Amino acid sequence: MRLPRHRDAQLHSIFERAMFEQRHSLYGWGSGLFALALLMCLLYPTVRSNPALATLHETYPKALRSLFGITNLATGTGFLRAELFSVVAPMLVIVLAVLWGGDTIAGEEERGTINLLLSNPVTRWRVLLEKWAALLAGVVAVCGGLAAGLAIGSPLARLDIAWSRLAAAILATALLGALFASVALALGAASGRRGLARGVASLLAVASYLLSSLANLISWLAPLKGLSPWYHALGVDPLSRGLQLDHVSIVAAMTLFAAGVAVVGFERRDLAV
Amino acid sequence: MSGSTVSEPKRSEARCAPSARPPIQMEAVTKRYRGARGIEDMDLELRAGEVFAFLGPNGAGKTTTIRILLDLIRPDAGRVQLFGLDVRRHGVEVRRRVGYLPGELGLYEQLTAREILSHFAYLRGAGRSEPFAELAERFELELSRPVRSLSKGNRQKVALVQALMGDPELLILDEPTTGLDPLVQDQVHATIRSAARSGRSVFLSSHVLSEVASVADRVGIISDGRIARLVRIEELRAAAVHYVDVRFQGQGGYEELCALSNVRITADAGATMSIEVTGSLDPVIAVLARYAIADLTIRETDLETVFRGALGRHDEKPGRGAAA
Repeated sequence: MRLPRHRDAQLHSIFERAMFEQRHSLYGWGSGLFALALLMCLLYPTVRSNPALATLHETYPKALRSLFGITNLATGTGFLRAELFSVVAPMLVIVLAVLWGGDTIAGEEERGTINLLLSNPVTRWRVLLEKWAALLAGVVAVCGGLAAGLAIGSPLARLDIAWSRLAAAILATALLGALFASVALALGAASGRRGLARGVASLLAVASYLLSSLANLISWLAPLKGLSPWYHALGVDPLSRGLQLDHVSIVAAMTLFAAGVAVVGFERRDLAV
Repeated sequence: MSGSTVSEPKRSEARCAPSARPPIQMEAVTKRYRGARGIEDMDLELRAGEVFAFLGPNGAGKTTTIRILLDLIRPDAGRVQLFGLDVRRHGVEVRRRVGYLPGELGLYEQLTAREILSHFAYLRGAGRSEPFAELAERFELELSRPVRSLSKGNRQKVALVQALMGDPELLILDEPTTGLDPLVQDQVHATIRSAARSGRSVFLSSHVLSEVASVADRVGIISDGRIARLVRIEELRAAAVHYVDVRFQGQGGYEELCALSNVRITADAGATMSIEVTGSLDPVIAVLARYAIADLTIRETDLETVFRGALGRHDEKPGRGAAA
């Protein structure tokens, strides 16, 4: 099953090793997202040619429309938002990000490899930041698969969406991934427990999605939607409105904050045997 | 002029002071765990060039102590310095001079031994060189195989090579021979001894008496998070018991032997005699030399037995025993 490697990889820094270790899931998830994006695009012509679908969304209950970002499916933007960017693509990216992020420190700790690693003349914060950088690079690379799928599928199926809008939506997706990867990293680094890190980070991701989607329906939630990173990333509809720097920078700031929490939490703690 | 000759040695002493700082110094270190054992008010000093062994049952606090030395866990109270530097504040500087072998070994399973070793060598500032090549050869370690396919002994060798590479000033080895076959164990012991001969200091933990007896200069016996006793192996050896069986050609020197303070006669059949000698054999030999001897055998208790004895005595009468 596993082919022997005939050459030793050139791994030196912690960043290089982290990239090497996540390569299999990076290839897998990257090509999965590529295929998903491409397939979705290729489905679009059949939807567009079906006039009933153009008004279908009006028959949906408001809650469903809001939850799944369903508008006019007969436009390229409306179709892609509903089928890809409302839930599916960002959730997939977040799932992977949380799996990776939770494993970054807590996984090394549970496997006992962190003892040897930290007995080297390196600071904990350097270990953490190098691994964080690899984590972000991995999330970006996986979103590269999504981007590639759209880059091929969009002109092919004549989705008629500006490149800048597509790029803005992909960036927002990647940022959400980066944020929840960092949240899972911080939880794992502060607790040393992988399961807890992954569980709580996933919960937060789902909560932020629900908050962003339901804020339009439930009046008392509306003032809270600014707390949801999902709202700032995808809730503001980058696919039709393009990059909105003010919202995007809020998600970026949350990501940096999570990384800061990770450093502090990791520095202060006793490591498990 | 006379003033300068007086101050001269002082100044050179001051200059020597930093390098003369003990490799390990712990003062009143306490680490408590919720509902579990830790270490309690521990004082410990390792001298340069010394092999110090921590001996005690599992859970006595050996690994806790070692993990504190590496700043993997932080004590609740007390001071921990390596080479005179605080392990927390000067962690990077300190760990550059330390080679560490963990008790619970976790290795990157998907990497090969070479990948792991060159990764750590890089983190130790060796750039892209392979400072482990010679060591790997000495321990017959296959560098190109993924760690997950290695036996327990070979995995331990990876860790050992990792600890030894770069020839660190201080080796901290947590149960270094666990899982190794006897030949490799001997190799490890030889490596420890030769490191000490070349001026390196070694701090190892073990629960194997024979191992401790064969490599250590000094032994700290730890139980329930405290050092119950410190023993010099040399003193232990000096207090070792010899069993002497002697057959005289004529009449034996029973009275003369009885008069010796460190002799106990265990069997006496006139011409043949069995005696136990604690400490120096010299007086016994001097007595025997005056008689015609038909046969003489002398057996030494192995150090392990002595050790066990010393430990046993400690349990009965704390603070007293064969060695200080």
